[in-house]
Amino acid sequence: MSADSAMTDGAPRARGVIHDRGYRRYEGPRLGRVQIVRALMWHSFRSALGIGRGPKAKILPVIAFVVMCLPAFVNAFAVARGAPRIVTYQSYLFPLRVIVLTIFAAVQGPELVSRDLRSKVLPLYFSRPMRRGDYPLAKYLAFAGACLLLVELPLVLLYLGTIASSHSNAIWPNTRGLLGGLAIGLLWAVVVSAIGLALASLSPRRAYATGVVAIYFFLTLTLAQIIRQIAQQGPAPFPPPQTIPAGARLASLISPFTTVESITQWFAGQPKRFQPAGPVPDPGSYLPAYILMAVVLLAAGFAILAVRYRKAGATS
Amino acid sequence: MTTGPLEGVTDSGGTVGKLAVHADGPVIQTQALTKRYRSDVTALDGLTVSVAPGITGLIGANGAGKSTLIKILLGLLEPTTGRAMVFGIDCGRHGEQIRTLIGYMPEHDCLPPDVTATEFVTHMGRMSGLPATSAKERAAESLRHVGLHEERYRLVGTYSTGMKQRVKLAQALVGDPRLLLLDEPTNGLDPAGRSEMLDLISRIGTEFGISIVVASHLLGEIERICDHIVAIEAGRLLRADTITSFTGASRMLRVEVDEGIQALEDELARRGLSPRRQQRSILVPLVGDATFDAIRDALADLRAPLSRLELSRHSVEELFRESAGAQAPGQPDLVTTEVPDVR
Ligand SMILES: Nc1ncnc2c1ncn2[C@@H]1O[C@H](COP(=O)(O)OP(=O)(O)OP(=O)(O)O)[C@@H](O)[C@H]1O
Ligand SMILES: [Mg+2]
Repeated sequence: MSADSAMTDGAPRARGVIHDRGYRRYEGPRLGRVQIVRALMWHSFRSALGIGRGPKAKILPVIAFVVMCLPAFVNAFAVARGAPRIVTYQSYLFPLRVIVLTIFAAVQGPELVSRDLRSKVLPLYFSRPMRRGDYPLAKYLAFAGACLLLVELPLVLLYLGTIASSHSNAIWPNTRGLLGGLAIGLLWAVVVSAIGLALASLSPRRAYATGVVAIYFFLTLTLAQIIRQIAQQGPAPFPPPQTIPAGARLASLISPFTTVESITQWFAGQPKRFQPAGPVPDPGSYLPAYILMAVVLLAAGFAILAVRYRKAGATS
Repeated sequence: MTTGPLEGVTDSGGTVGKLAVHADGPVIQTQALTKRYRSDVTALDGLTVSVAPGITGLIGANGAGKSTLIKILLGLLEPTTGRAMVFGIDCGRHGEQIRTLIGYMPEHDCLPPDVTATEFVTHMGRMSGLPATSAKERAAESLRHVGLHEERYRLVGTYSTGMKQRVKLAQALVGDPRLLLLDEPTNGLDPAGRSEMLDLISRIGTEFGISIVVASHLLGEIERICDHIVAIEAGRLLRADTITSFTGASRMLRVEVDEGIQALEDELARRGLSPRRQQRSILVPLVGDATFDAIRDALADLRAPLSRLELSRHSVEELFRESAGAQAPGQPDLVTTEVPDVR
């Protein structure tokens, strides 16, 4: 504190008095931790969808959504012309979902976490009124939300399109199908985003993070399919469920996509066991193994994130 | 003294959450604070210190434990033993509440390159708990205070080092903190940039009424803006004092002669100057003009050929030697073994 500043002020200086030198104290309300986390979540959700960032950041999310929704439009159009609904609510189009989700997770996951790791901005977050786990929690919820939107928006469009272009007696079965599909979609989003985000957080280099996520999802899916085909000696069409060997029923545990899809098939497949439907066999009595696997994937994702951010905060 | 500075930050004046904020006491207090990292590195070693309001320089050589202390104050690191308090609130137990009162500027780069300064500081304001519109307003203001009003819509990646340091300061300021912890804010700046940054910090400390702790490894650099100095070495408190007593006691004259150095030392001691040998020179505490006179007379009496007489920059190492000599006479070679010859 200098004596001359007291003179230019023209007022006696004392600690605790606010001096108008352009600096204004903030007198308004302060948000609590929960609201701060919500703000971070919303911010991250938007950037996962490419909103609030440059035009380049929008390219991939837009393509992902367009590609994902296209079959819903096509199908609604077909239904309007008297064709049956071929796209299912439970699996939508499994290969499409797998490809779009893999690319989305591999590109937008690193967008959410690798950037912050790369620029070492985390200490700035951790020096704010939140707890250590809040940052990964907000990022996870944001990413799961974005994946959920990507999985479920086409289902809703499919439903609306089908309803609008068919007879009124189609409403109830379609609504039931949609609700089941939405529930399964939630499982997809929750599991895929947990493991995808955890893998993305392993590297601050965005290219590496993208590679790790993409390779993991593609490799496990390929392995699951190869092993299943070896186990049942030959590619689909599927034999009746009773004759599917155990190896083929268990092979789908390898990939998160086929794990979730197997659970879907169990629920969807029950009444029509003998219909060769779905991209993976009905797990039958192995269902508990698949549910366990989904839980393990989720828990592993959370554990990796928790450990990752405990370390990142303490050392940087 | 009033509790005025805390109104507005707090829910009902003088509290944050349910905790009482002690505005009139020391800003920071630590008690026997010790931090050991896993690889049995002792970063802080029984540090007990109290920091008054105002601008405080936290001085220590590389690895002295400055950043560790700052992270403990932020509640980001758990102390191994001992405790730390900010405004009377325990940092270990109430880190979340403490952090509503603190703005932090890390020593390393911490800015994403692909956002504008406005966007970034606004987002950080939100993370400090400001509602969306207030965050926007305060971000603009903070950037104006640090002198980045014109460039605020440019991507941070296009900024110079000096501008980036200012953005780091702006994001620390945006939440209207009661205490700023600045970890080596002049890092990477050229002399002009350093000087501007220090002026800025000085303004924030005196005119904005925010207490500041500035970590640095050079006392000479930041002394002009500090009210108090806390010097640490190897995690231990070297000295904590007001700036006047600090620089007063540590200003040294360095005398070098071509020959007869021992005789000169004896002669200076006889004249009551308490000289100290340091390799090939003698250090004499500068008390006033009388010191110069005494040295001149001693040189004249001995007809010693003077080769160098200069005002020594009081480095942290010298302070350490002083206190090692004064407080721990049993271990004088602590100096030569533990302190690397920096500069
Ligand atoms: N995460 C860590 N793990 C192990 N040792 C650490 C860690 N962080 C710091 N240290 C050690 O603790 C000591 C104090 O480090 P600190 O970073 O607090 O020093 P500093 O005074 O900030 O130094 P500088 O001027 O280099 O920034 C050093 O010996 C350092 O090597
Ligand atoms: Mg440091």
